[in-house]
Amino acid sequence: MEAVPEKKDALEVKLETLSEADLQKILKELERRLSADEAAFVQSCVRCGLCADSCHYYLANGELEDLPAYKLNLVLKVIKRHFTAGGKIAPGWTGARKLDRDLVRQWVDTLFGRCSGCGRCTINCTSGINIAAMIRMARGALAAADLVPPELQSTVMTAVNHGNSMGISRQEWLDTAAWIEEELQAETHDRNARIPIDAKGAKFLYTVNPREPKFFPLSLLAAAKVFHAAGASWTFSSDYYDVTNYGLFSGDDARAGMLSDRLYQAMADLDAAVLVLGECGHGFNANRWEAPQWLQKRPPFPVKSVLEIVAAFVSQGKIRLNPACNQEPVTLHDPCNLVRHGGVIEEQRFLLKRAVADFREMQPNRQKNYCCGGGGGQLSMTRYAKRRLKAGRIKADQIRKTGAKIVAAPCHNCIDQLSELSREYKLDLEVKTVVEVVASALVLEPPAQP
Amino acid sequence: MSLIHLLRAVSLGSAVFCLVSLVFLLVRTNALGRKEHFSAPRGSAGRGIVYAFSQGMMPWEKESASGHLPTFIGGILYHASIFIAFLYLFWVNLAPASIRPLWIFRIALFLGAAAGLALIVKRAVKPHLRRLSCPDDYFANLFVDFYLVISLCHTYLPRSEPLLLLSAIALFIYIPLGKIRHCFFFFYTRILFGIFFGRRGVYPCSAPKA
Repeated sequence: MEAVPEKKDALEVKLETLSEADLQKILKELERRLSADEAAFVQSCVRCGLCADSCHYYLANGELEDLPAYKLNLVLKVIKRHFTAGGKIAPGWTGARKLDRDLVRQWVDTLFGRCSGCGRCTINCTSGINIAAMIRMARGALAAADLVPPELQSTVMTAVNHGNSMGISRQEWLDTAAWIEEELQAETHDRNARIPIDAKGAKFLYTVNPREPKFFPLSLLAAAKVFHAAGASWTFSSDYYDVTNYGLFSGDDARAGMLSDRLYQAMADLDAAVLVLGECGHGFNANRWEAPQWLQKRPPFPVKSVLEIVAAFVSQGKIRLNPACNQEPVTLHDPCNLVRHGGVIEEQRFLLKRAVADFREMQPNRQKNYCCGGGGGQLSMTRYAKRRLKAGRIKADQIRKTGAKIVAAPCHNCIDQLSELSREYKLDLEVKTVVEVVASALVLEPPAQP
Repeated sequence: MSLIHLLRAVSLGSAVFCLVSLVFLLVRTNALGRKEHFSAPRGSAGRGIVYAFSQGMMPWEKESASGHLPTFIGGILYHASIFIAFLYLFWVNLAPASIRPLWIFRIALFLGAAAGLALIVKRAVKPHLRRLSCPDDYFANLFVDFYLVISLCHTYLPRSEPLLLLSAIALFIYIPLGKIRHCFFFFYTRILFGIFFGRRGVYPCSAPKA
């Protein structure tokens, strides 16, 4: 029998056949993105190495390639060599290096495969260099030469081509919403409970991670229950409901902007007042903070996390919670893109402290919390899965120390990673969204009599 | 004009060259274009900048400092002593007879030089740090250490002033050319840090603790 030749990895093929034109594309994109901020960062890194312990990859592996300053300097040395006088005149002296095939290979392996873009190194950098932003910038330069790991790129392209990153058809989405509506009516004992789709003039346009309709419909039900209990005016869009934006991870600003612009368009089409981003860390960072930069425009509406909205429902007395409904100890994971990069820090605590009887903080927490390892597109880049799980040990240890068996994580990528960590490190965890925990503590008023 | 007066004038001139060059670098950096922020702020950029230069530099705010306290303290001593050495130089230049009290300068310069040497030893000994470093990292540190030692010697031996001035001239010329330019860009980067995290309401956190 004739042996079937093994299909070569597309990224490997691309790396092997890298041309001078590809190198020029990378450099051109790097130069295009070089603003005063990045140029200042180039001059500020003193290679003190104090960022080392801030990185979960470095803590777990202890390899030089995991050290944030090393990753940063892979990028800085190229910028110095090609775009600074000192680097051109005395490259060896200043640590500058010409971009070549070998370096591109290192870039791909290190910048995609050893970084979740969590930004913990940034807050620990002595100078305050935004290392995560520099690594994303370099990822963007690699994207210009089609050097994004294909698994990540295909997630971006699925969203571009199908309107959501899971490739869910419109009919499938509508069917799921209809089914969830029936569940909502059953749970609330209210035949008038609705999952509104394309409701023009609704106050809130709610967006979700497409993993929810695909794999976690109870997340959708939980949010619907909370909106219903609060008597909120809200809606889904039938077309653009996907809060995720993997362009943030691939570094491809053009496609990332296109994806976010669809949500802006849905806001305009439905004449909604507030764009509400579901529990998705990177989706929040992408659509709340980065999209206005990608699109170079100010959104004419507020962009909020669903946690901010639900916390407001509680503080305004629109919903009531009974912590006795959740007796098990619960800990909270802070997604990097929502907390350290997003500024949504206290709302989830406000909610959990009212929704559970025994809330336990991880140490460290809030802005200083460790990344679970699932960010930066790591979950989609299966080629780096072993590293991802190894780096997740730091988070696993953090969770274990709390003694909690339930982890609330306001991010579906984090939920996936934490679930994998639970299996890998035998943590026996149940991982939920914050809104799921809140929904389970909801005190539902009986429906109004007609 | 005596040789010493000439050297004093040149040292002041080189300090001006250094400053002008750094400002030129800053202008050239800014010419690349500052980012306009389009997202609605959640916090305050101003408060973020204040945080970046105050609480944000405290060791309890960063593991990189609290977990490496000797390095952090060494770094503070080293950098503070450089500014003290420059203050000493200008005092020598402008009113040499009035330098008082000398013991403060001596302690500061000694501690700074010792800390600088410790930092370079650390860089040379730690394998990952060594592999991360380039020649300029060693040279810049050694050069500054040398200058601190010369300044310290001068507090005991005023006759060594020509050596002090010559080393100051060389240092001022080197600062904008090499790694030491980070002394200027450090502040720039901290401001950017403050703006980034301040606008987003991350540092300082825009909400009271729940």
